[in-house]
Amino acid sequence: MVKTKTVTIIELAVSAAVFAAGLVMTVAAKSAIRQHGENKKRKRRSRLSLALTVMAAWFFIGTLIAAYSGKTKGMEVEFSLFSERVELFGVTFARTSVLMWILTAIILLLCLIFRLFLFPRFDPDHPKGFQNIMELAVEAMDRFTCGTVGEYGEQLSPYMFSLGVFMIASAFSELFGQRPPTSDLVVTLSMGLITFVLINYYGLRKKGLGGRIKALSNPTPIILPMKILSDVAIPISLACRLFGNMIGGMIVMDLLKSVLGGYAAGIPAVAGLYFNLFHPIIQAYIFIILSLTFINEAIE
Amino acid sequence: MTAIGAGMAMLTALGAGLGMGFATAKAVDAVARQPEASGKINAILLLGCALAESTAIYAFVIALILAAK
Repeated sequence: MVKTKTVTIIELAVSAAVFAAGLVMTVAAKSAIRQHGENKKRKRRSRLSLALTVMAAWFFIGTLIAAYSGKTKGMEVEFSLFSERVELFGVTFARTSVLMWILTAIILLLCLIFRLFLFPRFDPDHPKGFQNIMELAVEAMDRFTCGTVGEYGEQLSPYMFSLGVFMIASAFSELFGQRPPTSDLVVTLSMGLITFVLINYYGLRKKGLGGRIKALSNPTPIILPMKILSDVAIPISLACRLFGNMIGGMIVMDLLKSVLGGYAAGIPAVAGLYFNLFHPIIQAYIFIILSLTFINEAIE
Repeated sequence: MTAIGAGMAMLTALGAGLGMGFATAKAVDAVARQPEASGKINAILLLGCALAESTAIYAFVIALILAAK
């Protein structure tokens, strides 16, 4: 359904009038409260008129954006399992890979800046401000990894911390309208393969080849193939879990934006608090704790 | 037809939801009995929920493979 020009103009005029009326009512209610003191009725009137003002402003902005961009409700959502390709220097890359390089470069740059300019100014005896945050995060990660894998915790802690930082940064890239790198199966599978390598590295280092085979055929040697199969399934399961969660959140956000169309002023931000902030942090936590649990299983 | 298949694949979510519900109910029981152990219980519950959720996530990926062209 395409709106006609007159309908749009009428909508704009009505919402602007309601907005102005709401503003006047809010100011009047506030001044009434200031003059005659608070009571229940005046408070409710003030709150109602404020809500009316905000609604009218949202409707006005939404109509304006919808009229300007020509997008009304009911756009189609398009998504593909693999990201689109972009051409760089005559070679095509997946868009998510390019975004991943950019994110890695930004994180490395921030690391360099922190290392060169912020850390020398840190006072080991009197921590304050940013230093407190960094120490808290690093110490929490150290304690977490040491509590899960024990002796190798100190070696694994930096990798796990950077993994978490990368996952959360890639989730934030969705806020800039990009497809996050963690919603690409190739990226998540490579992360799962790193975990697989770590599992076997620490398992072989702790026990040697014979000990590892003995641990895999623990109750009876018959289940050795099944144990090996379930070990091989670990990176796939990790990759699919992260990929499914991230692409699910992305599709839900896309659906919300497309349903709202031009009226998506401020509302997806509330949903984004869950899908772009809370959900990725939980997923990063789960990825890290599962990796550590599997490594612990291999070395104990 | 593929859309129906994708929808049927998502029936797996039933099992995952039931499993997560049972796990959460037990966790609530445990916290009610021993409120001081809530931190540890929370960590284990998150891990268990992630593992229970993974079946639904596999189904979701399969549904996506079926639905996306």
